[in-house]
Amino acid sequence: MPNGTSPTSPPTPQQIFTDLSAALTGFDRAELAGTGLVDTYYDTLLRIIGEREAGQLLRAAAEALETDRRHHGNEALEAELIDSPRFGPVVVSLIKLWYLGSWYPLSGRYRDVSGSTADDVEHVVSAQGYREGLVWAAAGAHPMGAKPPGFGSWAEPPYLPPTL
Amino acid sequence: MSNEHFDLVIVGGGIAAATVAKTVVEKAAAEYPARHPRILILEAGRATAMSADKYDTYVEAYQEALIKVPNSPYPASSSAPQPDVLDIRRPVMEGRQTKTPADQGYFVQMGPLPFGSDYARSLGGTTLHWLGTCLRMLPHDFRMYSTYRRGVDWPLTYEELKPYYERAEWDIIGVAANVDDQYYPGFVDHPAEFFKAADTVRFPGGGYSFPMERIPSSYLDQYLAKLADGMTISLTGRDGTVHDFTVRISNTPSARNSTPTTPTYEVVGAVGNADRGQRCEGNSSCIPICPAQAKYSALKTLYELIVRYPDREPVQGEQVRARVAVRSQSVVMEVLHTQKPGETGTVTGLRYKTYYDDGNPPTEHRVTAGTYVLAANAIENATLLLASGAANNSDQVGRNLMDHPLLLTWGLLQENVGAFRGPGSTSGIPVFRDGPFRKERTAFRVEIGNWGWNFPENAPYDTVHDLVGGGRDGRARLYGKDLRRRLGEILPRQFRIAWELEQDPQSTNRVTVDDRYRDALGKHRPVLHYDLSEYVRASLPWAAEASKQLFRRLGIDETQRRPVYEPGDYTHYDPHDASAVEYDGMTYWVRGAGHVVGTHRMGDDPRSSVVDSHQHSHDLDNLYIVGCGSMPTLGTSNPTLTMTALAIRTGDRIAQDLKGAGR
Repeated sequence: MPNGTSPTSPPTPQQIFTDLSAALTGFDRAELAGTGLVDTYYDTLLRIIGEREAGQLLRAAAEALETDRRHHGNEALEAELIDSPRFGPVVVSLIKLWYLGSWYPLSGRYRDVSGSTADDVEHVVSAQGYREGLVWAAAGAHPMGAKPPGFGSWAEPPYLPPTL
Repeated sequence: MSNEHFDLVIVGGGIAAATVAKTVVEKAAAEYPARHPRILILEAGRATAMSADKYDTYVEAYQEALIKVPNSPYPASSSAPQPDVLDIRRPVMEGRQTKTPADQGYFVQMGPLPFGSDYARSLGGTTLHWLGTCLRMLPHDFRMYSTYRRGVDWPLTYEELKPYYERAEWDIIGVAANVDDQYYPGFVDHPAEFFKAADTVRFPGGGYSFPMERIPSSYLDQYLAKLADGMTISLTGRDGTVHDFTVRISNTPSARNSTPTTPTYEVVGAVGNADRGQRCEGNSSCIPICPAQAKYSALKTLYELIVRYPDREPVQGEQVRARVAVRSQSVVMEVLHTQKPGETGTVTGLRYKTYYDDGNPPTEHRVTAGTYVLAANAIENATLLLASGAANNSDQVGRNLMDHPLLLTWGLLQENVGAFRGPGSTSGIPVFRDGPFRKERTAFRVEIGNWGWNFPENAPYDTVHDLVGGGRDGRARLYGKDLRRRLGEILPRQFRIAWELEQDPQSTNRVTVDDRYRDALGKHRPVLHYDLSEYVRASLPWAAEASKQLFRRLGIDETQRRPVYEPGDYTHYDPHDASAVEYDGMTYWVRGAGHVVGTHRMGDDPRSSVVDSHQHSHDLDNLYIVGCGSMPTLGTSNPTLTMTALAIRTGDRIAQDLKGAGR
């Protein structure tokens, strides 16, 4: 197997991060991999909430995603992450990071409990992050100032994938 | 202090400067005997980028910018600061008196309203981030006083300026449009008459064509045309007269590369890489930066000049040519002259400072020339003249500052129209640009925006924040496929219109200088006094009402507000916004359009104008003051094309006057 993994070995933190990102964004793993930003955003998460907290979040995510996979639903993700006072705010910032390429700071209420890191300020992670923001694909458009669709494309009827 | 001499020195490195330089060089070479002037261009900001790879770094800077305002890709030094729309605050007023000026940024805003526009201080100037709209002014725009008893007449008519419009469209900017698409009031059924060519050598028989075909109208434009073309918008005048306006969506001429209309027209691509930017690619970011350089910027003309006319002695056997030197980071501090108040005089030199930003202090220089041109932007020209006590016998320098106060209206359409695709705007509704109503209220241009709610609601960012949530409860409202699907339902249906009002000249809207306000080099910062006249304000309810009638036709007249997203009219104006304007008990937001005009108006009478129709100073015999500042009235056209036409006319005159200058 590539990367020395086997179907039975536990997923790596990066794999959990990718699966969580897919569940949170509605873009599948291939689409996320296509942005080239999985590693960058994984590092961003660790840098901003700290490795220990990120480890806890990913552990909770792995369990919730596994439970939901068995039950073909998303109840565990809702209960353990979305509704969690501990992880919910991080999830919000993570969704925005994927969609907009910018990190949006965690709330004061989150920081009251968990503290904050110096990097937890609003910033554009990178120009690539901006260009690969999922919001543009969700809109059926392209990032303003990048990936131009060609002369006259704007005169054509818009297109969004129908399978969603 | 070093001292050098040139035939012509131009202050400023934007489109007006580039146009004058190119025109002078080419005209003078065609004179008999041919002359080859040596020209210096002094740019206060940095030399932006003269190769495609360096230009790309500005694109990257835009992509990395947290807030993508027009000046975000272009860094400025504290030695040549530039205005930024993020600095716009409202000064605190006590009645008509300024209690606390708003001086956070470069401008010192004295109010009562803040001046809402910016410009770029970098080589290439504000054409680095202009939209590229290239509408000519209408015949009545030049005769506002004679026709409507408003403002003043120009010392030029449309017919007189027409040959220069043609040259601006062909020889400097490169404009893409089809004559048949231009439904201007007075010429709705016969646009060819409005465009009947002045240059019958280039256009035998007078049938005009632009150098490039139209930039295709967006899918949104087509959707609006399908629903609204031919509808009547009725607006009521003060005396109860009903004015009917028939809507026709009209493709807008633009400075964007497209398909040439004749094989002899050579499309100008990116600086230093002509293969790039040969046609608009749909980057959807004309403002703040066109990544492909398919949109014209003055860098293109400046690049051509420094490549063709390098500032060096000709090597042996080489033909004698003009020489053009560009010096950036060189801020002109003072126009030296012999003028005494009430008398005429001569410019004797320019004092400028070159700054380094590397820890070393700036150096001071003096330069002399046969002819001097100020082309540094309307506000910069006025500031420099006022600080120098020059060219102001008329007391009009700095006065009559104008913009296109802009009212936004926005809604969510019933159908997916593919917003966020294509140039910022590809069409407008020209019907409100002229008519008898201009006696009592100002005309306006209607610009249809292709980028959703990017301008009024910071979309797509704020749309994502609305849907994803966070904030107080810290919980994601929407995520996963539901989020993706919902964004696909909302974003491509976002739609906005800009109603750009003609501002009339008011002597109290003015640029002044005050020794208390200076930048890091010690140069005066512009101190601005600004308001909207009753004449302008009276069009706010008209624009708002026209928008309501149009939105009704589109089936989106129901009032809605974020974070709810349903088809409807989302237009709203918060009275606490810095741009809030009250009129007749209603609040509106009036934004700047980036059209900085007035401040050194042209006219035949030296008592009431600063320059003549050639932009030649009435007071200083070897000084030309060029740019949008010379425009006595603004009309409803974005002013760059008209400024370029005027600069060509000035260039012709300077070339004739060079006499024995040059070699």
